[in-house]
Amino acid sequence: MSNNHYTLGSDQHQAWMREYWYAPRGIGFTEPGIVSTDSAEFSAYNVAKSFYQNYPEVFNLSNISEQVGIPAEEVKQRIKRMYDEHAIMLVYNPAVAVYGWGLYYWVVKLKDGTDPAVKRKLSQWFQNKDDICTGYETSGDFDYFNGNHMRVLDNLLSDVIGPWRDMPEVEYVHLCPIRRDVRESNVNMWDAHGDGYRKFIWGDEQIKKLLEAQNVIDATDFAIIQAINSAPSVGDMFDYDVLERLSGLDGQQMKKDFVEICDKRRIAVPIIYLNHMRLGLTMKMYLVRMFQNVPSYRKAQLVDELSDMPEFNNIWEFSDSFYDVMLSSFNQLTDPEQLRKKLESYGEIEEVKVADSPRQFRRWVARLDDQNGYWEECVFTDDFLQDRTATKCVKCQFSNHEEVK
Amino acid sequence: MKVERARDYVVENLPYALNPRSIAVVGASRYPTKVGYKVIEELCRWGYKGELYPVNPRSKLVQGLPAYPTVKDIPYDVDLVFVAVPAHIVKSVLEDCVAKKVKIVVIATSAFKEIGRGELQNQLTQYCRDNQLPLIGPNLVGMGSPYLNFNCGFIPYLPIKGPVAMISQSGANLLAALGTSQKDHFGMSFFVGLGNKADVDFCEFVAYAGRDPNTKCLAIYIEGLDSPEAFVDACQHVDKPIVTIKVGGSKIGEKAAFAHTASENAGTTDEFYDEIFERAGAIRATTWQQFLDISLALGMQPTPRGDHIVMITNGGGSGLLSCDHFERCGLPLHELSEISPGLAGRIRAYMPMFGSPLNPVDISGTASPIQYKGAFTQAMRDPNVDGILGSICPTAVTDVPAVTDVVIQIHETYKHLGKPFIMECQGGEECQEAIMKLRDHGIPAYPTAEQAVNAMVALYKYGQIKRRKA
Repeated sequence: MSNNHYTLGSDQHQAWMREYWYAPRGIGFTEPGIVSTDSAEFSAYNVAKSFYQNYPEVFNLSNISEQVGIPAEEVKQRIKRMYDEHAIMLVYNPAVAVYGWGLYYWVVKLKDGTDPAVKRKLSQWFQNKDDICTGYETSGDFDYFNGNHMRVLDNLLSDVIGPWRDMPEVEYVHLCPIRRDVRESNVNMWDAHGDGYRKFIWGDEQIKKLLEAQNVIDATDFAIIQAINSAPSVGDMFDYDVLERLSGLDGQQMKKDFVEICDKRRIAVPIIYLNHMRLGLTMKMYLVRMFQNVPSYRKAQLVDELSDMPEFNNIWEFSDSFYDVMLSSFNQLTDPEQLRKKLESYGEIEEVKVADSPRQFRRWVARLDDQNGYWEECVFTDDFLQDRTATKCVKCQFSNHEEVK
Repeated sequence: MKVERARDYVVENLPYALNPRSIAVVGASRYPTKVGYKVIEELCRWGYKGELYPVNPRSKLVQGLPAYPTVKDIPYDVDLVFVAVPAHIVKSVLEDCVAKKVKIVVIATSAFKEIGRGELQNQLTQYCRDNQLPLIGPNLVGMGSPYLNFNCGFIPYLPIKGPVAMISQSGANLLAALGTSQKDHFGMSFFVGLGNKADVDFCEFVAYAGRDPNTKCLAIYIEGLDSPEAFVDACQHVDKPIVTIKVGGSKIGEKAAFAHTASENAGTTDEFYDEIFERAGAIRATTWQQFLDISLALGMQPTPRGDHIVMITNGGGSGLLSCDHFERCGLPLHELSEISPGLAGRIRAYMPMFGSPLNPVDISGTASPIQYKGAFTQAMRDPNVDGILGSICPTAVTDVPAVTDVVIQIHETYKHLGKPFIMECQGGEECQEAIMKLRDHGIPAYPTAEQAVNAMVALYKYGQIKRRKA
């Protein structure tokens, strides 16, 4: 492992990597150190997340104003409107391996001809299953692509997948443990190559089409989102004086801490999430399988090449799976057929499965199901110290909804 | 933060904490496992009749009620604001409360002084004081009153109605007391968790309890007093018995108390608190059980005029446990002949020849309800007897329910004489049922001899305190 990949964590953790060539735990990740989500280091985000709905001035309005070329007051009003219309949500994506979890996605295929009512019920279960921190309903070559952060694979298999795995309608469930989290919601994550980390990736063509395809946000709105997500440092993303005024906490300390964990240690990435469902956009998802004799470094190179294409809004690379990569793009903003052809042009790629996704369940623990009245309800789960294979054990289960057997 | 004395504006606003006309719940949640959900659920479940305003910037509807983004956005008057959001939101909520002119604010949120954010806690407290907004908490579980069907917090049930005001720094122990109330019929007038007691202090709830018509006794669980002089002053102005339990005195307990409710005990000793409670006229309990037991007795019974306590039992062993414990507690029993020359002879008529008319009076294991009634009545009617401790030790011939009814009847008949009557029922299920029934009729009853003796000794001590105050 290169020293450049993870510069996070305690000295003890780094010492491990000098001694060994494998990570202390977790699939595809090192264990760079622990900063809990309610620790002081996360205060800036937590304050902003708690207030931005009523106080858009938590964002660095002067910076945005300068970049977008409109008065700060208008920036404020536009952020408020976009939030009130549920077009945007402030979220963050954590490097979950930092906390000792594996990030396990899984693909589900239902048998052809499955009664739509069965799929609706299963979707409802996935929507309400709090352990599923992110997930997509799809149709096409597969039917779901859901993900969990979990510490124990058996817990995933028995409690999250087990309850419906043996339904006669299920053709297969394939695990896709994440090896590299390259891009989510158009924002590059810690595993993006080069200096791509935290870059907000939108091609000019996609922006143009976005503004033509819907009327919820306009070019100025988008420029505001772009200004926030493209802030070179998280130190420029928020107005820390406002965070201090609202919370009573030390603004400069919050800034210092947040810069440390986001910019330097790369533990978390705050994002303005664009609610594509509200905008009427759907996603095309490409599940890529490479030949098994493709060397790992080549797989990584190929993912890097694909990540240079702004058409892809999500990119994950897998490990120990039938599949190697999942990519997605917006149907309305790209040419899905061309993208498929592009993928299939690589000789290393054995197969591309394609599906459309009209629905995302959550954006990392934040519920997106406006239709059920749970917009932005954040439900964090952890299977720490739990054995969910045991019957009648205490489970980390929050929703009251009946599980589908 | 320190107070010099109980502040009038705080005491005057405390009724809004227990009987508000309207409540805003900041952090009202749509998810059943979250505190902000439970608060609303419990308020509704226990029959809160006032207006309820959920505050949640992410949703327009919470549990079927219209929700508001902030307290300021509520278009109606708000008496009480209950805060169940993370610490970093509290400052803004308090500013909204001041702007909204709410009467009182209750903060359940943790992560203030107890984790080293003392400066922030003090800033917020000072802000509230500058604006005369009483703040209860932070870091508390809630409050309520069974007389008002009011349960505000993340508290699973209300206690039964009764005489004891439970004022506790610890939420867990408060909940334990509420559980005991349900299970063992320990009646309460109201209860409150003070948590870090950043602003509203013990002394102010003492003053409030002194005025509360349902409160006959104050039970106060303390991890640390920020304002001992204000506490003493408030207690001295209350004409009701006060029971305290002070924890965090051990070497490691001192640190634990700080980590729990930011209670500062460094530099104080147990003797320091002995002196504080002595001056306050409070009775100090040393164990949780004793704390509950004597609070119940003090809430239910009058004090004895003197130390002429008569114990009547059908079990010699129970009598021995009792008389030894009386002596250990500094209130030794006197022989009947010393108390009242003719009493032993009169009681003899209600016991077999092998019984013992000493003190404890052993009316023997064969005692019938009629014999109990006769012995109790003789003691009760004797003007030289100051208090009675009865004991039931079931044998195969003991009719526990009938004896229980006898005790209740005598207590009702002779209540006007102003003599304390305490019962001990040691045994199985029938005794537990007897204890519950007796408590429901205002008679403190306990399952062990020592508990009953502790209760009588506390009544005696309070009698002395009252005389001192007079």
